[in-house]
Amino acid sequence: MAQDLPVDPDELRAQVRGKYRQVAVDPGAGFHFHTGRGLASRLGYEAGPVGALPDRAVESFAGVGNPFSLRRLAPGEKVVDVGSGAGFDSFIAAGQVGHGGQVVGIDMTPEMLAKSRQTARALSLGQVQFREGFAEALPVEDGCADVVISNGVINLCADKQAVFAEILRVLRPGGRLQFADIANGRPVPAEALRDIDLWTG
Amino acid sequence: MLQDSGFTDVVTGEPVDTFGGAQGADKARAFQVYGYAFMASRPA
Repeated sequence: MAQDLPVDPDELRAQVRGKYRQVAVDPGAGFHFHTGRGLASRLGYEAGPVGALPDRAVESFAGVGNPFSLRRLAPGEKVVDVGSGAGFDSFIAAGQVGHGGQVVGIDMTPEMLAKSRQTARALSLGQVQFREGFAEALPVEDGCADVVISNGVINLCADKQAVFAEILRVLRPGGRLQFADIANGRPVPAEALRDIDLWTG
Repeated sequence: MLQDSGFTDVVTGEPVDTFGGAQGADKARAFQVYGYAFMASRPA
């Protein structure tokens, strides 16, 4: 196992990919987390932009917070979405940056990528594209992003310092990271941290 | 961890009861797990 990580990164990725494959193809199956429009409302997303999106753009949303709640994106900004899933946050971002901006969503789950790409085509969103990759090795150039967004993804990465270092590489100097994630108020026992099943369910 | 990684101007939003009413709510309650928005900058 690399460094002193609590779980094997490849094994964790396989579990995460399996879980989110289910969320992509059968979003109503029932998970330990909320999904879809109800979740977006719960997390405080603006009703208008969410309501304007088709069901396929929202139904597999499984974020844990609202990365746009502390700052709205500006028109023309270039955005990278780390762990874009079925594209919900990328589509919200596209609406904020407009046609003069750019959004690159990156995900490792083929079913999520297929779904997000189909939705982008259906919505004729030319400023949005989706690429396959890992949070620790983003397939974009150094300093290309004004803003990096992410939602409920970094907690599912074994090596969080590697993810933050990669995001720092991708941001231009002065660029912003706006992300949502979970944090615990009580410490999780070391034994539980090593139980990979607890990371995804 | 954000500051250790080189980010500055770190801002944390209010907690959100992300898992309330979901299947995972009991486990989330046990460890006081909530969702947060974060913002941080790469130094200019």
